[in-house]
Amino acid sequence: MIDYQYIYSTYNNLPFLIKLVWIVISLLALTIAFMSMYLKVIRHSLRKKREINIKFKTEYESLLVKYLYSGDDSEKTTKTQNSIIESLKESVKVDSKRKIILAVLYDLMNEVSGEMSDSIQTFYYKTGLIKYSYTKLKNKKWHVIAKGIGELRRFRIKKASHRVTKFINHPVREVQKETHLYMVNLFLFDGLSFLDHLKTPLSEWEQIQLLETLQKFENQEICNIRPWLKSTNNSVVLFALKLAKIYNQFEVKETLMELLSHTNKDIRLNTINVLTHLYGIEAKDVLKTNFNTLSIEEQISFFGLLEKLVMPDDEPFIEEHLFHKNFEIQLLALNILKEINIDKYMGLSKLSKKEKSTAMIKSENI
Amino acid sequence: MNKKKIVLAEDNTTLSLLLKFRLEKEGFDLFMAKDGKEALELIERNSPDLIITDIMMPFMSGLEVISHIRNKLNSETPIIVFSAAGQEEMVLKAFNLGANDFMGKPFSPNELMIRVKRLLKI
Repeated sequence: MIDYQYIYSTYNNLPFLIKLVWIVISLLALTIAFMSMYLKVIRHSLRKKREINIKFKTEYESLLVKYLYSGDDSEKTTKTQNSIIESLKESVKVDSKRKIILAVLYDLMNEVSGEMSDSIQTFYYKTGLIKYSYTKLKNKKWHVIAKGIGELRRFRIKKASHRVTKFINHPVREVQKETHLYMVNLFLFDGLSFLDHLKTPLSEWEQIQLLETLQKFENQEICNIRPWLKSTNNSVVLFALKLAKIYNQFEVKETLMELLSHTNKDIRLNTINVLTHLYGIEAKDVLKTNFNTLSIEEQISFFGLLEKLVMPDDEPFIEEHLFHKNFEIQLLALNILKEINIDKYMGLSKLSKKEKSTAMIKSENI
Repeated sequence: MNKKKIVLAEDNTTLSLLLKFRLEKEGFDLFMAKDGKEALELIERNSPDLIITDIMMPFMSGLEVISHIRNKLNSETPIIVFSAAGQEEMVLKAFNLGANDFMGKPFSPNELMIRVKRLLKI
């Protein structure tokens, strides 16, 4: 039997420091015991929750499959489909169940096309799930709004566009991105109309996502990109330049020529690259005249353009820059000269080492 | 008449269920696997007439499944591959390994039925 009286008196006779150590040890032991219990309870509840979720998921999956195969050729829902919709309407009202139903629908929406995807959309409407997405758009939290827009995009709800376009210039980038993706995914090139009203910068990542989305579609008929090339939003201009290059927009060459004198260096640089791609021979004279006012990057890009579009009458200009202070330009000029006048190029090898440019010496050593 | 056997390897349970329902309705005997490893077990145990497999799966990819069927089991069983957008290279690899047909996701189950029947010569 434990003699509590003895333990108590022994404890009382201990020095203060030892007493303190015992108190700390007891407290730690109690905390560990409490935490272990708490962890066990959490694990148990999570396991329970997971089991319930799996049960509901299995139930909803089979109901959805039954719904999808109960349709007939008409556009109207059948009696069986209506009864499934009615039975799920109650579940949709419960937050956790609604999440499971949405997850099941997402899983399928990404995998099937045609009539089935239309049936899933009808299901989304008729079970009232769409109302919850609309409610999310009114929420004050940005991530809820973004989620709502994402749902409308995945279920391809075109008629929600007037509600979604309000977020084109939302202060949070994530909401903006979802809005832009919604527009382009549902309205393809017409969806790019959001660029007309965009006041915030379009990030590089978002531009890539939009281009990737556009390339997924069969219809590659692009709309008029000229207004975006003239936009006051520099990121819109840069995006339009990418469109011009990818979709070979030869008809916008004139606008591109105007962009050569844009105030933004990145835009000027990208314009030269696009003009190179589009064989913009008209740009040559303009850039030659202003060559000394261009930045080094622009000068290099221009030589890139010359490499592709060089003509015999460009020879004096090329020769003039064989000894440019920039090595890359020296090398490009040398390569172009080799292309248009091989004799003159060979003649350069007769120069003494002192008279040669770095590029000449390096290219001889290769 | 013996039912034709099909092994379906797909990690999306909802899609599996949807296809199972359809294929069974058409009179096929279906064996479902959630990953490549499970698919190989089912293939070795049941010697199916057709294999339908997704490319991206846990534990063992669809490509590994095809390679195992063609090189280890030396089987000529027709194989249909599912691939998502942007997996064009994977599809080419699948064909090089011996896949017979492919369907890009999202796809129409009706179209899948046509391809299944064509490969099984029904």
